[in-house]
Amino acid sequence: MSKMIDIIVDSKTYTAKEGSLLIDLLIKEKIKVPYFCYHESLGADGNCRMCMVEIEGQKRPQIACDTLIKEHMEVRSTGKNIEKIRTDILELELINHPVDCPVCDQAGECSLQEFYMDYGLHNAKVIIQDKVKHTKHVDLGSNVILDQERCVLCARCTRFTDKITGTHELGIIGRGDHARVTTMPGRKLDNPYAMNVVDLCPVGALTSKDFRFSQRVWFLQTVNSICHGCAKGCNIFIDHNKMKYQDDVIYRFRPRRNDDVNGFFMCDEGRLSYKQLQENRQETTLLNGKEITEDEAIQEAKELIQRYKDTISVVIDANLYSEEMEAILTFAKEINASVYSPLDVYVDESFKDDMLKSANRAANYKTIGILNIDTNKPKSNGLIINFNHPQEFKADSHINFFTHKCDRDDLVFPIAVFSENSGTLKNEDGIVQKCEKAVSRNIPIPTIIESLIKISL
Amino acid sequence: MKTCKIVSRKFHLENSHTLEVAKVHGAYNTLEKMEVYSSLEIIEIIKESNLRGKGGGGSPAGDKWVLMPQNSDNPSFLVVNCDESEPGTFKDRQIISKDPHLLIEGILITCFAIKAKHAYIYIRGEYKQFQDILQSAIDEAYKDGLLDNCDITIHRGAGAYICGEKSALLESMEGKRGHPRLKPKQKEPEWFFDHPALVNNVETIASVPFIIQNGANAYKAFGTKQSPGTLLFAMSGHVNKPGVYEAEYGTPMMEYIEYFGGGIKNAKKLKAVIPGGASSAILTAEEASTVTLDYETMRSMGSSLGTGGMIVMDEDTCMVSALKNLLEFYHEESCGQCTPCREGTGWTDKLVGKIVNKEGTKEDIDKLLDIADTMNGKTICVFAPAVATVITSFLSKFRDEFEAAL
Amino acid sequence: MSFIFNDENLLKIEALKKRYPSPKALCLPCLWMAQHQEGFISIDAIDVISEKIGIPPMEIYRVVTFYTMFHLEPQDKINVQVCKTLSCKLCGSDEILKHLEDKDVNIQHVECLGSCGTAPVMQIDDIYYEDLTPAKVDTILKELR
Repeated sequence: MSKMIDIIVDSKTYTAKEGSLLIDLLIKEKIKVPYFCYHESLGADGNCRMCMVEIEGQKRPQIACDTLIKEHMEVRSTGKNIEKIRTDILELELINHPVDCPVCDQAGECSLQEFYMDYGLHNAKVIIQDKVKHTKHVDLGSNVILDQERCVLCARCTRFTDKITGTHELGIIGRGDHARVTTMPGRKLDNPYAMNVVDLCPVGALTSKDFRFSQRVWFLQTVNSICHGCAKGCNIFIDHNKMKYQDDVIYRFRPRRNDDVNGFFMCDEGRLSYKQLQENRQETTLLNGKEITEDEAIQEAKELIQRYKDTISVVIDANLYSEEMEAILTFAKEINASVYSPLDVYVDESFKDDMLKSANRAANYKTIGILNIDTNKPKSNGLIINFNHPQEFKADSHINFFTHKCDRDDLVFPIAVFSENSGTLKNEDGIVQKCEKAVSRNIPIPTIIESLIKISL
Repeated sequence: MKTCKIVSRKFHLENSHTLEVAKVHGAYNTLEKMEVYSSLEIIEIIKESNLRGKGGGGSPAGDKWVLMPQNSDNPSFLVVNCDESEPGTFKDRQIISKDPHLLIEGILITCFAIKAKHAYIYIRGEYKQFQDILQSAIDEAYKDGLLDNCDITIHRGAGAYICGEKSALLESMEGKRGHPRLKPKQKEPEWFFDHPALVNNVETIASVPFIIQNGANAYKAFGTKQSPGTLLFAMSGHVNKPGVYEAEYGTPMMEYIEYFGGGIKNAKKLKAVIPGGASSAILTAEEASTVTLDYETMRSMGSSLGTGGMIVMDEDTCMVSALKNLLEFYHEESCGQCTPCREGTGWTDKLVGKIVNKEGTKEDIDKLLDIADTMNGKTICVFAPAVATVITSFLSKFRDEFEAAL
Repeated sequence: MSFIFNDENLLKIEALKKRYPSPKALCLPCLWMAQHQEGFISIDAIDVISEKIGIPPMEIYRVVTFYTMFHLEPQDKINVQVCKTLSCKLCGSDEILKHLEDKDVNIQHVECLGSCGTAPVMQIDDIYYEDLTPAKVDTILKELR
């Protein structure tokens, strides 16, 4: 219905949908506009008043988040006038802010800091004793810590629990400069998506109990990846850092915007699943619980494959990358083994919801179907070669390729987890998505493909 | 002084709030006109009369009435604004306690004109005593069959100045905090739960019966060309006889203060007048002596007629303390929704507090003006711009007093 | 939940529901009823109201904290609301406030009560006391005890 029209911003012509929000165009075209309250997932609220622009023919400056694009519109986003307005409103935003950046966990990814560098640089005019006092270190629940003094009352977090989760735990109470974010007395922030408010918070008011004080954000390296918590395939950033003399460590997952998959968000369980990638890892080759060298293990594996010729079953985890699955199929064909991936074990109806969480808790189960892999239990009971499938199947002998420790009396090879490798996944809606390699360990653990090369006959 | 009693005609009568007394003195006679006129004709008469909204804004009432749909399946509502909270203003309470039936009569005509079947009266929570009088008048009207085709429900507020702003009032009625809404992109009615709603002040609605009964020209015989009719002006502060007295627009301010207010208390000299409720720019005694009480003259003086509630200050009044007092009010009452108002009201209050405590500096005065500039024209509603007006008018007209206090 | 509306209020609520296009409009009316019934608004009452009108408890809690006339705690003393805004100030509200200081009452400074022509003024419960003098305040408090 709405047509594409041309509008002018800072003397340059842009094409935009008539009736769409001006701020969306500014964000899309990377035209600098400061804002706290607007968020593409939450819509306009118009409370922070930072995104002021001048519009030809309008007497007063207008907020871009509440301006609909019209034919022949002429917008000025820069200039002395508009910059003064932004500076002045920012100063008001800051007068009751504690300016405790050195001890604030948001430092480095704080909108208030960013805009201060762009428009602020005011002298402090209100001494700390005169600032409005609020409560600090409020444990809201769900790993979220609130500092009411740092809050700019943009209401993103409260709008998230109102509009997105519909759980209504958070609200702004009181009025005037005594207004503050809180939960109801005696109640907690408690929903499976609660930690998204930490990402939404443009300042250091809401921080993650899990992440805070573990790293300054400017030390972190970020790669694009996909959460492996279920078949939804939420797009994520993996933030990791290798500190001097230490191993490369993942400090957090953050949702990465993808409107076709997860929008802006991810569930807390997925967000915290990074921990499992670094805990209880299988790091050495084992035979019946005893450590052996990799060479000894390879030798043992080759012998087993020879011995159980024609009675070998290969079982593969539905979380593996598509490339790994294909390599395993090729390997299986070479050794004349049949391939299985029983999927029942991944189904968890209790995990499912109508937002992002899928009952299929296997990131790449779709590819199992596409590759025509048998989803029944393995039939042969000679040798089973298990590529990280969570179930144990009865057989005379086993070769296991495991990411994590598992007390099985067999031959065990350690393999890399998804963050130590790159590859593709197909989510439950059939969307193919790529994960980049995030972590390089000091002592690398081989990927499945590397291991396959070693044990191939 | 020409006496003109359009709204206050029955105020002096004993038991004027009862249906019996009201009827003896002509209440509800206008209802016959609803047989004579169509709804559109009534709106036309209101437009022709140029009845100005009497809640403070002063925009022509008819402009809002025409926005209401005449043929719609979606029910419309009338909302009468009785959240009277502007400091210096206490006129609507006179109407609801002294002639509630005039308001009910006005409501019935207005509802007929805008095709509404239900009117709400949003009354500030503190006015419980007056609410009870109004409620018994409504009960009497129900008993008398006057409200057979149109319901009236009183909705009680609970203490928030901002709810006098029409969109905040509707938010409040919808069970929410009284946060003003973002302005609509085009001319449209207000909305009460997705239903078109007309929000008018008590006195505006109470003026309707006279206009419909006597015609637009009879109303325009009072007042000035652009500000026709009368207003329940009010006086408080340093005058001998504070109170509410109806007068026509265009009355010279000093004549009003002398005639009705009996002049300044204790035979002191006048120093300043805040003309139309706290949120209008203050006038010096000299300015007050030249102005007439109408929207245009007040605007030409850089102030506004507002609610017509004059706060009169004598020569001994400390302007720094007076401004501090008003800023405490705004600081307390800011809804806190948008930044310039939430932070600006607090900061300006603190800065003037410094000056009151003799700790102020010249930079503080400059900063006050600077903050006022940031509060002006950059917020969701007109609360912050009003505060800006108050600050700049005090500082520009009484700057020497502020500087002397440094 | 320990709060329940009494029968009179329950009838009022049902009657009011018919007068609004949405039960949500009953938020302020229900809060008033709860406060009258118990003297303050408890969290339990908020939960009960939430169920009746379909507004989440947090939103009702936010509403309670927005309006100055609602109390979340029981009031143990007489609550004297003294208007301190300009007209009352010009007419001596400071004197009234000072006079009240050593009385055994809870003093609440409130903004303009809309009684500027009869300043200074105070409100106790729902009643206005106007044209105050310290002597008049004493008489009023004596009568209330």
